[in-house]
This record gives sequence, C-alpha cells and structure tokens, in this order.
Amino acid sequence: MEVTFALQKLAAYKPRQSRKSKETFESGLALLEHGSYAKKGETGWDEVEKLALAALDQGNTEVADVRTFALSIYVTPPDAAVALYAPQRCLKILADKFPDSPRVDVLTGIRMEATERPEVVLRYYDELLEEDSSRAAIWRRKAHVLRQMGKIDKAVEELSAMLDTFYTEVEGWLELADIYLTCQQYTYALQSLSHALLLSPQNPSYFLQFAETAYLAEDIPLALKMFLQTVDMTDDDDGEMAPSDSIPSGITLRAWFGVKLLITEPRAASSSASQTSPPTTSNLSALDNLSTERLRTAYLDLKNESPPVAEGDLITALTALVK
Amino acid sequence: MVLTRSPPKKMPRKAIREQRALVRSQILRATSANSPLPPSYYKAISQYLSQAFADGTYLKDGPPKADAPASAPPNPLTDPGAMEGMMAGMKTQMVMMVPQMIIMGWINFFFQGFVLIKLPFPLTLGFKSMLQRGVETPDMDVRWVSSLSWYFLNFFGLNGLYRLILGGENAADSSRDMTTPFAAAAAAAPQPGQAQDYNKLFKAERDNLEFSEGLHTWVAQDVDKRILQKYGRIPADGK
Repeated sequence: MEVTFALQKLAAYKPRQSRKSKETFESGLALLEHGSYAKKGETGWDEVEKLALAALDQGNTEVADVRTFALSIYVTPPDAAVALYAPQRCLKILADKFPDSPRVDVLTGIRMEATERPEVVLRYYDELLEEDSSRAAIWRRKAHVLRQMGKIDKAVEELSAMLDTFYTEVEGWLELADIYLTCQQYTYALQSLSHALLLSPQNPSYFLQFAETAYLAEDIPLALKMFLQTVDMTDDDDGEMAPSDSIPSGITLRAWFGVKLLITEPRAASSSASQTSPPTTSNLSALDNLSTERLRTAYLDLKNESPPVAEGDLITALTALVK
Repeated sequence: MVLTRSPPKKMPRKAIREQRALVRSQILRATSANSPLPPSYYKAISQYLSQAFADGTYLKDGPPKADAPASAPPNPLTDPGAMEGMMAGMKTQMVMMVPQMIIMGWINFFFQGFVLIKLPFPLTLGFKSMLQRGVETPDMDVRWVSSLSWYFLNFFGLNGLYRLILGGENAADSSRDMTTPFAAAAAAAPQPGQAQDYNKLFKAERDNLEFSEGLHTWVAQDVDKRILQKYGRIPADGK
C-alpha cells in the first residue's frame, strides 16, 4: 500500500510520467549494456527508442526534484547521471542507424528539452517544421515547449492548428483539454474532451475525465450522467458475480464517488448548460442509496473496518482513498 | 520493385488538412447512433463541420470566390505532382520489361528450331508465321507447332485460365504487367491524373452530416435507469 501510494504521488507530480518508465529503464539498460539490441532485429530498435524515452523520463524527474527522488527510494533509483547519459547513447545508436529518420529527430528534440533552454529547442523545432511543415509529432512537441515556457496562448494556438489538421491525435486533444483546465476554461476543456471521446469512445477514463470537467463547469446533470456512464462501462458485469455483489475499485470507485458527491450536491436537479435532463426525483434518491451502499462496500474492502455511519464522514474518509 | 518505387511524396500542411477533413466528419458520423456525446455537444461539432464544409474552410486554396467560374479540373500534364506519379508508373514498367526481355531471349536461344506438338485440327497457311516461329521450313504442315510459338501461346493464353482458377488477383496473372504504363499509373492509389474536387465532396458530406444528426442518440441518455435496473433497484421494464 505504501509503495503504491508513493507511486501515485509520483504520478500526480508529473502527469506525463508513466509508472512503467522505471521498469522500462532498468530492463532496457541491460539491453544497452550487452549491445544485444542489434540482434533483435526491428523490435530491438524500438526498444532502444523506448529506453531513451524512459531514461529521459526518469532522469528529468530525478534531477529536477529532490523530493520525488526521496519518494522513489523504494525502488533503488538509478544514478541520475546514468539516466541522463543513457538517452545520449541511445540517440547516438539510433542516429547512426537511421540518419534521416523523423522519429530520431523527435527524440533528439525531447532530449534537448531536458537540458537546453526552451528557446533553443523551439528554434530546432521551427527549423524542422520549415523543412517539412507536415510533421505532426514535431508540431506537438513545439506546442508543448511553448506551454512549458508559459506562453499558453501560443501553445493553444499551435495545438489547435495541429489538431485541426491531424484530427485523430487523441493525446493532443487531451493535452489541449489539460491546458484549458489549468486556465479554468472548463467549457473549452469539455469541448476538447468531447473530441477525445469521439475518437475513442471505448475508453472509460475519458468519460470519467469528461464527467469531472463537467462538474467543474457546473453542468451537474451532465456530469452525473457521465459518471454513471463510466460506472456502466467499468463495473464488471460480464463476470459471474451479480453487479450488486461486486466491489467497486479503481475507476469505478472514483465514478461512484463522483455520483455520490453530485447527488448530495443541492444543485443536482438544477438546469444545465447542455440541456441535459436530470434523472427523476425517485431515481435520484434510488441512486443516492445505491451509491452510498457501493461506497460502503468499497470502504469495507479497502480498509477492513466498518465504514463511518454518517454520510459526511464517509465522503471525507473516501476522499483520501479515491485520489 | 522496391528500387523503382519513388519515396512517398510529402504533402504540405494544407493538403493534409483538406484530405483529412472528411475523415473527421466520418468519425463523427460513425458514432452518431450510439454517441458518447450529449446532443448539444454533438450538434455543435456537427454544425461546425457542416458550416466549414459549406464555406470551404478546409479547402487547400482557401474558400472559393463567388465570382470565380466553376473551376475545370486542372490538366494533369501541367501539374508537376501528377506528372511525377505518371512517371513513377512508367519507370516501374520499364524495369519490369527487363526480366521479360531476358527470359524471351533465353527461350529464343534454347528452343529455336524444335517442333513441340501437333495440333489435332488442320489450319490454313496464314497461321504458319504464328505457329512455326523459329522453324524456317516452307513445306511443313501448319499443324506442327514450334516450341517458341507454343511458349508464347501459353504465355498469353493461360492468363484467362489462371484467373478462372486462382481468382482475380493472383501472382501468376501476368496480364497485369502487360498493361500500358498509363493504365498502371491510373490504377495507382489516389489517381494522380485527376485531382479530387474536394469542394464537391465536402458539399456531399454535408447531407450525410445532417442525416446522422437526425440519428443521434446519446449513449448516456437513460443511463440512470440502466444502472438502477442493473443493480436491482428498480424493476426491469420487461426487456
């Protein structure tokens, strides 16, 4: 539990950092040491690229933040210098093998982002884009660098232009939504998220994100329906257990928590900007009962003790659990 | 084949944008019957796209001017891009010809002067040059077929049989290689010869968008009821 908690903290610290990058880094490093990447054929090169990214991911956070470093002490952190050194080596290997590859260009750019000043990286990207204006990956990195530099308006402009051309980049839409969220532009964030939903309607986490953003945008009925939709998608109703006997966890638990919060909210039946009709009053109270019961089940399972009786206490207790 | 293929042409941003705008509306339409988006959001996107198609926002050269004449499709011979596409086809053909010629020469060399079969039916003298190539005897009956002629007869004659037995797109079908370079170029993917008139495609897509908008159902429309039924809180309505 402790380690997962620490890892979750880590993940929250830098949203793009994947928890897997450490694993990738460690196993990849062995690959690099033995030089066996070349023998593995096509996939070997992929591995080297992944290793470079993972190492950058690790190196960055560890150099940048001592606190994260201390938190990650559980899993024997590699030396920070090695972490920054490895991508350099990977890059060299890849650049030797594929001299004109656009993918290596992107990787070089990301490597530069880690150490160079943003202006330098930006110039590098601009040069690449001038050469060939249709490179989506470079374009996106450019928007990202602009964002890091604090030029949010320019970043949004670039990112929207890119998404207007390359509509199918789900990650791009998510990043745009994220930028809007940091500026409290919830309606715009919802619109960006809706494109992500269109592009991958099978992913419940986008529904959850949409619901949470709708909540921030004060469109309570919309948020409620979206939370319920997330529940509907994620509760394991194909299993042998009846849904009412299952224990909500992970994304389902979070969605139930959202449902509960929204129903206790006095604005639950208020009007919505998207003209979503709220559930009937009888359904609302039934949902209230159901969500409380679900949350209690989850609490009992996670903590192994009986949940607090008062609803307010239950919500407070669960707040820490669903973070 | 790999050697002769020219690298894929890089497209400028605007061209990609034009080309992919349709995909965008197709993605939207594909979800409409079970859409993840609530009606207002769906309508906003759908109407935005429809308006953009009507105004020609996504056209490569910007919105068409009102007073401009209905543009004729550009002449493929003046467009360097299209020309390149045609040349690529021709180049491939040229290279394909080389092994053909070598094989032909080889066969000519080895099988000259052999008589291979005797046809079971008589033929007029006119077929002599066709059936007895490589055997220069003026007196021989036309029913005797020389090996070289037999090779050519089979080479061209069996294609129909191959197609019948092996299906349309089989490797043994050499008639594909025998088509003219222009036909090959025209059959190549996006028809380099005639540029697509995206303006017309966009206009057509508007109708599709409108149609899908009518079909739109939000997947979460009755989700509260569905959840309550699933967890046995309200009775299922007879379904």
